[in-house]
Amino acid sequence: MAVTAAEAEVGPETIDACRRGDRAAFRTVYNAYKDRVFSIALYTLHGNADLAADVTQQVFVKLMNSIAKFRGDSEFSTWLYRLVTNACLDAQRRLKSRSLAVDSNVLETLPDPASLEKAFARTQTAELVKRAVSALPSKLRLAMLLRYFDELSYEEIAVALNCSRGTVASRLNRGHRLLAKSLAHLRGTQGLEE
Amino acid sequence: MTMPWSHVDRMIPEYCDGRLSAEDAARVEGHLERCAACRCAAEDFRFASALLTRLPVTKAPDSLWPGILAGLDARDKKSKKDSRFVFLSARRLALAAITVVAIGVAAYWYSSRVPAESWQVSDTTGNAGVDRVAAGQWLQTDASSRLRINVGSIGFVDVAPNSRVRLGTSQASEHRIELEHGEISAQISAPPRLFFVDTPASTVVDLGCAYTMRVGDGGEGRLRVTLGWASLEWRGRQALVPAGAVCQTRQGAGPGTPCFEDASVQLQQALEALDFRNGGSGALDIVLAESRARDTLTLWHLLPRVDAADRGRVFDRIVSLTPPLPPDVSREKVLQLDPDTLERWKEALTWAWIWPLQPTLNGGVK
Repeated sequence: MAVTAAEAEVGPETIDACRRGDRAAFRTVYNAYKDRVFSIALYTLHGNADLAADVTQQVFVKLMNSIAKFRGDSEFSTWLYRLVTNACLDAQRRLKSRSLAVDSNVLETLPDPASLEKAFARTQTAELVKRAVSALPSKLRLAMLLRYFDELSYEEIAVALNCSRGTVASRLNRGHRLLAKSLAHLRGTQGLEE
Repeated sequence: MTMPWSHVDRMIPEYCDGRLSAEDAARVEGHLERCAACRCAAEDFRFASALLTRLPVTKAPDSLWPGILAGLDARDKKSKKDSRFVFLSARRLALAAITVVAIGVAAYWYSSRVPAESWQVSDTTGNAGVDRVAAGQWLQTDASSRLRINVGSIGFVDVAPNSRVRLGTSQASEHRIELEHGEISAQISAPPRLFFVDTPASTVVDLGCAYTMRVGDGGEGRLRVTLGWASLEWRGRQALVPAGAVCQTRQGAGPGTPCFEDASVQLQQALEALDFRNGGSGALDIVLAESRARDTLTLWHLLPRVDAADRGRVFDRIVSLTPPLPPDVSREKVLQLDPDTLERWKEALTWAWIWPLQPTLNGGVK
């Protein structure tokens, strides 16, 4: 996935400004990453938009509270996604301790189901992929989402997930195989050729 | 990197992502030419990668930013307060100590006047003001009166006309009322399992939601959830009810099986027969035939409720409505009612309950 224009604006100067408490700079960071952070939380938390919104808020408040500790030893995005990963896993633990809470407004986040056959097929496929990803073990799921949504390197994913690079490769391998197996009936679908 | 003759499946992600050195990539390629198993693993990886491109990036709600700013403001206030405290003089410390003692005395005086557990109740028809009512008291509305009960700071309950409610415990860890008959509407914003409504047939457990509970003169109840989830529970029997769904409950039988309000009339009638009138296989046939993808909510609840002989039919119907079966869920484990397997399957099926609209080619909704 290409770096967005907003993301490209987040350079060392912007990070320094955030450290000084500059809220305009913080807004730039927020705009650059909010949709990806929200999406990762949403897909990690089984589509619970309320919880994903809470996690997104927590992540950005925590980011500002602790940005002074970010020394630049790693990429800023790696550091941010470590916050995201921890917040998602915490929220998932809370979610497991109760029954799933679901936001009826989540429908608004879906793409409009077009009547054209092609769009219909895409929507149906996306729906199946969401379900299959949702059913994966959370550690595999998070590694895959970080790779897909943010194109983090394996080293960066390892930092975000607090594990070794080898573990990342192993989780990606297992996660992709499970996903492929569960959606094997879609092989050959247009646009999904290997 | 040395690579003796062995499978290369752990290197496949990096190979497919083009992150291996030219030398390692060439070795992996050489291995793939000779090894069908690793070739298959690489095909799986590429196929799954293509599948993941179908996941859309979802726009974060616009309402998040004000909440984040509020969080930052709260932090700034706290840090200012903390920094002020460092510079308090001895005289001001003494004054602060006196203030703390005074607040303690006032709190003791107040608590001795107000019952330890009380509820704030208001008459929403405007005939009376707000009052605090002690725990243990009964409230009764007539044909023209309505009440609002504040549930601590986590929400409120509206009591409809001709209803009788008893106020139970009201503590930070648990708020509990009893609905003998009539109707209440609750709107709660709190972590799950803080607010409970006891009825003659079941207890409604809030899981962060808005709902209406109606109890008839015979103790029979009907829960209708409009936001989030609620749970109906009685003697270990549980029904999880999401927004848009309803669930009946009967004295001595507990909660029935939840179903969506837009399920077919035939399904709802057959379900009631199955739950409370020994409907048997005939009723189950109708439920299975009338189910849509989102009615797997009903079917999933039926798995432990039907006879072992019918469980396989329910399983097959769920799979046919919401393929695929998650990788770590097997028919054998489901039929054994393995709790972890049922929970994992529920998590996967939840997508069909959250995103219920499934467009059909003719523009309708399945």
